[in-house]
Amino acid sequence: MKNFIEVTELKKVFGKGKDEVHAFGPATININTGEFVSILGPSGCGKSTLMLMVAGLLDSTSGKVEFESKLVKGPKTDIGIMFQDNTLVPWRTVKGNIELQLELRGFNLKDYQEQIYNILKSVNLEDFAERFPNELSGGMQQRAAFCQAMIHDPKIILLDEPLGKLDAMTREKIRADFQKLWMVKKPTVIFVTHSIEEAVQLSSRVILITPRPGKIDREIKIDLPYPRDLKVKRSTKFIEYVNSIQEVFHKYGVI
Amino acid sequence: MKKFIKWIFSGWMLILFFAGFFLFWEYSIPLFDIPRYILPAPSEIVLKGSADLDKLIYYTGVTALETVLGYIIALILGLGFGIAISFSSILRRTLYPFFVSIEMTPKIAFAPLFISWFGFGLMPKVIIVVLVCFFPIVLNAILAFNSLSNELTLFYQSTGASRLKTFFTIRLPAALPQCFVGFKYAAINATVGATIAEFIGSDKGLGFYISIVTGNMRPDLAFAGIFFLTCLGLSVFGFVTMMEKILIPWHISMKRINK
Repeated sequence: MKNFIEVTELKKVFGKGKDEVHAFGPATININTGEFVSILGPSGCGKSTLMLMVAGLLDSTSGKVEFESKLVKGPKTDIGIMFQDNTLVPWRTVKGNIELQLELRGFNLKDYQEQIYNILKSVNLEDFAERFPNELSGGMQQRAAFCQAMIHDPKIILLDEPLGKLDAMTREKIRADFQKLWMVKKPTVIFVTHSIEEAVQLSSRVILITPRPGKIDREIKIDLPYPRDLKVKRSTKFIEYVNSIQEVFHKYGVI
Repeated sequence: MKKFIKWIFSGWMLILFFAGFFLFWEYSIPLFDIPRYILPAPSEIVLKGSADLDKLIYYTGVTALETVLGYIIALILGLGFGIAISFSSILRRTLYPFFVSIEMTPKIAFAPLFISWFGFGLMPKVIIVVLVCFFPIVLNAILAFNSLSNELTLFYQSTGASRLKTFFTIRLPAALPQCFVGFKYAAINATVGATIAEFIGSDKGLGFYISIVTGNMRPDLAFAGIFFLTCLGLSVFGFVTMMEKILIPWHISMKRINK
């Protein structure tokens, strides 16, 4: 059976001649429908580059990306995307920002009012629908951004270190929110991160990327039950996963 | 009304300062024995100026017309060119460096040339106002339309929305705060441009009035003219600031001022 997402010998080189920077690859990755895959690697290893190439938002130097056997050329539009710096615009309220996703896609806003309320409720933001982003804390902004990325029910969610700028407690809370939504809607998630714990807690599979130029060191299937709450995080198995990944990066001199 | 009282109350320091300033001016004239053909007292300026009120009001209208007309034309041209340059790589490599280098030239130096080409009428003044307003508007507009965050760009690309739609829903509102930096700067330049153009060659307007009365050793009337010019400048600037408040109430700089 063909995989949902197939990345074949994908490579990216920025610049030309003397200024040439080999940023990523070549790497081959297969992802199934509904998987939560983390791309884990040190900063500068090209993991964000990989994500953008998968989304068709950045051209690759060589290799190809296929979704359901269809070659990706140019930006893919059936995705939801989220970055470390959120994509909320300051002139719209939280609700308006979620509607922005729908408006740009030409959807009828009336059909979505209930869904907007529900998704805001699922991340405890229902009372902040009419607030502007700069009235919210960093963590609340990221939760609002998550609603913005999810409202159109994309089959694929791309998360580029969405929790990178948040404090430890807020991260913990939002991880739980992500997990809850993923378990309900089961989209395919590609999650770029440099936090080992975060990757192990959330993903069904972790792909370890070497320092630049990023190549795949190995893939680790995380065989832990969902939802992965504090109890799971304290289990020996969880700690073993974290330790084994730490050893890999230790070998590279990253940690 | 309540708001107005609150405003007066919160502005008491400023009012006190102005009152002190004019009192000092008024009483330092006899105190330091300053001749009235050098510096007249505020009371004299008001007295003599009000005798010339009809002329002053008419000339304010003349200068206002030049200022506003020039400003609006500069606004249309500046925004138009700014957007065109932002979205065309060819223009960005040709017109943009050209504009940047002209920006370094003091535009007002062209004023005598325009007067000699186009005469004493309205047109040369409007052209000079356009010239001094155009560059801050166009350069800030280019900056504004080119500084959209990488994340927002990727976000709208992932929605597959058309260029026109993204322009009006994202790019234009995102650019407005920086555009207004240019609009405000140009609003300050506008009255300066009109006044200097009138100094150089005209038969009406506040600039003309000030240069004539100064020649006649009447600094009291010159100050009356300056007062009207200040009011004109404040009105233009105030209007642009008001538009900013209406159009981008969400912007961070607005919030800080209101607090």
